[in-house]
Amino acid sequence: MSSQARLKDAIASLSGTAARLSHLSQRSYQNPYTALEWPEAADPEREWFGSPELLSLYGTRPWESLDERTRRRLAFFEAANFYSLNIHGEKSLMQGLAARLYRKDLMDVADYLHHFLDEENKHSIFFGGFCTRYARVYRTRQLAGTQQRPRDVEDFLFFAKTMIFEEIVDRYNWAQGRDARLHPLARFINNNHHFEESRHLIFGRRLVAALWDACEPDWDDARVADIRGYLEQFFVASWREYYNPDVYADVGLDDPWGVAEVAWSAPAQRAHRRRVSAKCTNFLITTGILTKEPTDAF
Amino acid sequence: MRSEREIREALHSWVLSKAKDLDSSALTDKTPLFEQRLLRSLHLPELLLFLERLRGEPIDVDDLRPGDFRDIDTLVLRFCGVQVSP
Repeated sequence: MSSQARLKDAIASLSGTAARLSHLSQRSYQNPYTALEWPEAADPEREWFGSPELLSLYGTRPWESLDERTRRRLAFFEAANFYSLNIHGEKSLMQGLAARLYRKDLMDVADYLHHFLDEENKHSIFFGGFCTRYARVYRTRQLAGTQQRPRDVEDFLFFAKTMIFEEIVDRYNWAQGRDARLHPLARFINNNHHFEESRHLIFGRRLVAALWDACEPDWDDARVADIRGYLEQFFVASWREYYNPDVYADVGLDDPWGVAEVAWSAPAQRAHRRRVSAKCTNFLITTGILTKEPTDAF
Repeated sequence: MRSEREIREALHSWVLSKAKDLDSSALTDKTPLFEQRLLRSLHLPELLLFLERLRGEPIDVDDLRPGDFRDIDTLVLRFCGVQVSP
C-alpha cells in the first residue's frame, strides 16, 4: 500500500472520533464574553493564583528565602506567564489548524478542525483577558523555524508538538482547576481549559499515532532520527518557558537569569518536569515515536 | 562585566553542550551554527536566555532578524555590544 493510501485510511479511521468530539463541542459551545464575570482587581499578595507546588521555584534554594507574601506574588506572575505561554502556543496552533482546514486529504476531520480552532481562540480570550486586565502578556522566546521539510513530516511534527504542549499544560489545568486554595478566577480559567482540552487530547493522540503509523515506514533512518531529536528538543523549549526571568524580575528577585538557571537545574524541578511529562512521554515511547525519555528536559 | 574573551568562551562551551557530536576543534567563531545544523530553531529559547544572562539585560524578540544567530562572531557583535576584529 502506498504512503498516500495509508495516510488516507488513517485519517478516515478518525472520522468517527472526530464526529463524536464535534457533537460534544456543539453541546458545550461557549460564549467567552459571558461565561465569566471579571473582578475589578486582583490582589497578588493576598490570594493564590497558582498552586504553590507547581511554581517554578518550589523545592529550590530561592524558594526557601521567600516569605509567604512573595510566594503569592510569584504565583500571581507565574499564572500570567502560564496564560501567556498558552496564548503563544495557541497562536501557532491556530495558524497551523487554519492552514490545514479543508485540505483535501484532511476533509474527513474538517468539521472537528473548525471546533478545535474555535475553542483555541476562545481559550486565548480568557488567557488574554486575565493578562491584560491584571498583569501583562509575557513575551515568548520561541521563534518560528525556517527549515523546510516534506509535508507529511511537517504535518506529523505539527500535531505531535500540539499534543506535547497540550498534555503538559493540561496537568497544570487539571490540578489548579480543583485547588480550593486558589482564587475562583484562577480555578475557573484552569478548569474551563481542562474541560475543553480533554477533547483535543483524545483527538491529538489518535491523530499523532495514526500519522506515525502511516508515514514512518516511508521515512529513512536519518529522517526518523531528525524527528526524534526535534521532538526531544521541543520538550526542552516548552519547559524552558515555565522558568521565565521576566517573571522573577517582576516579583523583585535579584539576578533573574541566575534564578532561572538555578531553578531549571534544581533536582526537585527536574523531577517535577519528568513527573508532569510522564503520561505524554509514555505515550510517545509506547507508540515507538520516541525510543527514550527526552532527558535534556529533565 | 565579562570580557570579550570570556563571552566567546562561554558561547563556545554552550554550543558544544548542545552539539554533542561536534569536535571542539571544529568550532570556530565563524562556524555557521544553524546552516551546519549544529543548532536548530528549537534551541533559540535557551540561546536567548543564555545571551540575556551574558549581557545582563533582555533581548527584544520583536527586533530579531534572520542572520542574527549565524555564528559566534555575529552573536557577540549583535547581542553583547562588542566589535569583531576583521
